[in-house]
Amino acid sequence: MPMTSREYAWKRRPGWWLRNRRYLMFQLREAGGVICALYGLVLLNMLVQLRAGESAYTAFLDLLRTPPVLYLNVVLFALVVWHALTWFMLIGKAQPIQFTRQPLPWKVVFGINVLLWLGVSGAVVYLIFGGI
Amino acid sequence: MAASDVVFRVKRYRPESGGRPTFQEYTIPYRSDMVVLDGLNYIKDHIDPTLTFRWSCRMGICGSCGADVNGQPRLTCGTYVRDVHKGAVTVEPLSNFPILKDLVVDFDDFLRKLASVTPYIVRKDWGDLTKEYVQYPEDVEAYRQQSLCINCMLCYAACPVFGSSPEFVGPAASALALRYNRDTRDEGADARLARLNTRTGVWECTFVGECSVVCPKDVDPAAAIQTLKFLATMRHMRRLLMPGSSSR
Repeated sequence: MPMTSREYAWKRRPGWWLRNRRYLMFQLREAGGVICALYGLVLLNMLVQLRAGESAYTAFLDLLRTPPVLYLNVVLFALVVWHALTWFMLIGKAQPIQFTRQPLPWKVVFGINVLLWLGVSGAVVYLIFGGI
Repeated sequence: MAASDVVFRVKRYRPESGGRPTFQEYTIPYRSDMVVLDGLNYIKDHIDPTLTFRWSCRMGICGSCGADVNGQPRLTCGTYVRDVHKGAVTVEPLSNFPILKDLVVDFDDFLRKLASVTPYIVRKDWGDLTKEYVQYPEDVEAYRQQSLCINCMLCYAACPVFGSSPEFVGPAASALALRYNRDTRDEGADARLARLNTRTGVWECTFVGECSVVCPKDVDPAAAIQTLKFLATMRHMRRLLMPGSSSR
């Protein structure tokens, strides 16, 4: 923004996102979004390995089963879950379309979305593994 | 320092001498019913008349006395010292704005952004100005929440997106745009949505939500911006599919 010569330009402090819990949660949500995109590349690579043949695919799966990769997956999974949950929290706070006369409380919308998410996830697990 | 005293750490910037802003400490008498603005006024009246800050109504209506109090944007007239007193009360100018002097920041950029969303009723033809433009209670209720905005700028100070992208139109201007778009007397919705559906408009918002947290009037600008994103998308699709459609 244009400034007069005697104004002091505001400068953002390093670590501003540690200033309060909500900024930190926001940064983790954004980081979770990046992780989602990067993990998509891992899955794409899995398809590439599958196309390359059985031995390449098996080697890739073996790599995914090593402890460091498994631990990394746990962290990534937590970030992805946090990313999803934060968006479910926000849906109820921004309701451009209202199906009811009064906006639903955000916690109700959050709960409905989480239940739907668990339902769809359960159906996917059932389809892949034929039951848990 | 006596037990009945409180320390105010106030950020000072003296444009005449240049240099960086620095903190200055003042020890003042504490009262359980004092607000931060009372403390600043005590300092100005009794200790240091050069301390500069804005205030006017002292009752949370004018929106002049915003400052960062212990790192959080607040109206100093509505913030009790007893609620933020943790050893010392730190008062700084609102974040994200250039400092003019001490706690006074430059709002010109916001005023330009506000003007860009035409925050008033726009009509193609005012017709007979003696005639009433009737509104029912539900018509008023549609925009009442956004109409409570007092332009205090706390939402801009809390917005990290505005901090990193100063060209972002920002929360208050967006909320006021929605307020007039929802007014049944207004005919300027299309032009406002065209302004907001740009790179510097509502799409910059990543929904941090802090603007709504710090808003002293419960305007909820974060929700207003998400609604505007939806309305801007609908306008874009309507123009794409029905080029000759009406503006509303």
